[in-house]
Amino acid sequence: MTATRDAIAVPDSTQPAIALLRELRRGHGKKQAASVAYWVYLVAFLVLVYGGSVIAAAVRALRHPPAATAQTPHVLQAAPAGLAALALIVLVVLARDALWRGPVTLPQAAVDWLLGTPVDRGALLRPRFRLSAALAILAGAAAGIVPAAALVALGLGAGNGGAGNHGASYHGARYHGASGVLRLTGASMLSMALLFAFATGVAGLIERYPASWPWLRRVTPVAVAVAAAFAGLATWAMLGRPPAVLADIALWSGPWGWAGQATVAAAGGAAPLWPLAIGALGLLAVAALARAHRAAAGVPGPALRIRAATLGAISAAAFNMDTRSVAVAYSAAGAARRARFRLRPPRQRQLVLFWRDLLALGRAPSRLVGAVALTLLAVGLIAVARRGGRDPLVPVACALALGYLAAAWLCEGARLDADDTRRSVPLPFRFASLAWWHAAVPCLVLLVVAGVPGAALCLAAGDPRLLVLLVAVPVLIGGAMVNVFRGQYPPDLFSGVDTPFGNTAAVRIVFWYAWGPILAVAPMAVLASSAIGTPDPAALARALVIGAALAAAFGAYAARRAGRLRAG
Amino acid sequence: MPPVSIPPLLSLTGVSREFGERLALRPIDLELAAGTCVAVLGANGSGKSTLLRIAAGRDTPTTGRVRYGGRTLAEDDPVVRTEIAVVGDMVSAYPDLTAREHLLLVAVAHGAGGRAEALVDQALGECRLGDHGGALPGSLSSGQLQALHLAAVLVRPRRLLVLDEPEQRLDPAARRWLAGLLSAEKQAGAAVLLATHHAELAQSVAGQVVVLSDGSVIGRGTPEVALAAIR
Repeated sequence: MTATRDAIAVPDSTQPAIALLRELRRGHGKKQAASVAYWVYLVAFLVLVYGGSVIAAAVRALRHPPAATAQTPHVLQAAPAGLAALALIVLVVLARDALWRGPVTLPQAAVDWLLGTPVDRGALLRPRFRLSAALAILAGAAAGIVPAAALVALGLGAGNGGAGNHGASYHGARYHGASGVLRLTGASMLSMALLFAFATGVAGLIERYPASWPWLRRVTPVAVAVAAAFAGLATWAMLGRPPAVLADIALWSGPWGWAGQATVAAAGGAAPLWPLAIGALGLLAVAALARAHRAAAGVPGPALRIRAATLGAISAAAFNMDTRSVAVAYSAAGAARRARFRLRPPRQRQLVLFWRDLLALGRAPSRLVGAVALTLLAVGLIAVARRGGRDPLVPVACALALGYLAAAWLCEGARLDADDTRRSVPLPFRFASLAWWHAAVPCLVLLVVAGVPGAALCLAAGDPRLLVLLVAVPVLIGGAMVNVFRGQYPPDLFSGVDTPFGNTAAVRIVFWYAWGPILAVAPMAVLASSAIGTPDPAALARALVIGAALAAAFGAYAARRAGRLRAG
Repeated sequence: MPPVSIPPLLSLTGVSREFGERLALRPIDLELAAGTCVAVLGANGSGKSTLLRIAAGRDTPTTGRVRYGGRTLAEDDPVVRTEIAVVGDMVSAYPDLTAREHLLLVAVAHGAGGRAEALVDQALGECRLGDHGGALPGSLSSGQLQALHLAAVLVRPRRLLVLDEPEQRLDPAARRWLAGLLSAEKQAGAAVLLATHHAELAQSVAGQVVVLSDGSVIGRGTPEVALAAIR
């Protein structure tokens, strides 16, 4: 084994190397198994202790599922498009996973010590793919419980589509009590498991062929638009009576539609060919998995190196509960698309921060699109709250929480300055005042994004109360700024203080992360819901005045936090 | 009788690399023959590591061509993995394997078979890790970890060494040892491509020096000529 100028021939050493590694790491494997067993035990214990009442309620629901209501037939009509939308989003999310992580990943040590050797890549990578596929199938089966539980809760647990009470069309066999719920849950779990398996196969192929990565980035907005159209169809089905052929189109539009058919049929809906659909999905999943398993050996080395480094960074940050570092590592992995957006720099120095924030937004269109989508949902919830009448607090609070998320997404420019206080040294501003300057662009964007649909609804309904989200925008931005300038996660939060009610660590951690949204959403939820709940215009004016005062207070608080961040 | 020209082992022709809108490496040509050493000097962010990753087949150039031993270079080619030894910015190790076990794994993976133990002993001794063979990575200093990565080169066959700042974390005595090791590798017929911040190291082992700045070559030639250019 020396340096040489001649070509080198090496016998295949894959089996001895893998066997040696297994032998050397046998003790580590046992420790890892014990650790996994401990975590399973801990989770099961916590679920039993804290979720006992929920489990008992679930068992009761299993034996006596909630009865159908007047809304149940509408839910059944909406189920095909709703489930197709959900499945399509799941498929896109899992496929996009291949852009930065993928089903085939190696730990950093294996990358550094084995990837550069002549050991057969297939022997290294195929077991990782098999493990990912098995975990994905299990996760899919578990995820399948969620839509099934939602349908049962909405009165579809009896499997007759609410026909017993409300005379909707009846397509499936009639099942009672536990058997109906089990059938529905089983169908949903099987469908989601197959969908996850198919998605893992697709992700494996995408990871293997880097040429497909730009294609996936291009096709994502189209898939999201189709899912949004399905969601719109589901909403239409909830509120009215769209042509039945549209539901059939959703169910046969692709694997995402096939994945919903067994669940729809088990709920008593119209999906007579569901065995064919589930069979096709199963075949597709097996084919995709088999093809991806073969291809796993060819995942490019550079991709494996980058992914191992990214996962290492994300794991370390997650272990320290540092969500910002997790987001930064994810963003650095390049999964999100960066647009080539240019903007002429301003001549006046004072405008440079606005220019930079606009540039950051323009170059991350997914952030802007996500904020727009969240804001539209929030406006929709405000409209629902107004129609709902008596108790608008819950929908208004949900709308404000969505609005807060949109505001937080738009504050990336401020977050970059908060990450590293040295970055803003050349700017002609004091660091503490950055909290105010950075608030301008997100506030304007959110006012426009919430204002246009809000004003349209307001004009259509002739009710100015629908503009209440606009009143809340500066407060939400102020809350987001409070969170942006919170600084590094203090490790002493983990220790907490022992009290007669238990250790305070968990509460302190939750407050540390959620201080901004709590400050912004809680008071505005009360103010906005009281403004919506009464026809008195004074309530809206009161919300406007108090909201402005809150926004100013949060801005000052964020500036103070920023000042401390710089000083610390 | 005209001199016989030896084809280079590694050749880079018009190689450049862009990351998004950032041009990390402007088009560069480079040739490396068996038994020679080229050192790449430059400040942080000048493109050294990018160039070395491309030369080791661990990154794909945006433009240009990389040939190794007459074939297109790709890390996924087992021959390339057999013949090119890389020491880069590796910082990780299996936390539960000793220094000796790490080297044993590399030796076996490269087909050492029954000679693996002897090779590992020899490499541990050469890299001044003889007393630390049974140590876990967590108990090694950063300099000893770097020596471990260098020892991993010695337990495997190699025709080309690609070393990205191998002197980092090494003390002055270890750096002198490193210079001796690289000279011996060169004499044994291996080609060495070395990125370094230490002009003295480059001067002592390299026949040619390339100086990079902001992804562009600003000096090239014998160590004396190239170093004079940057002074």
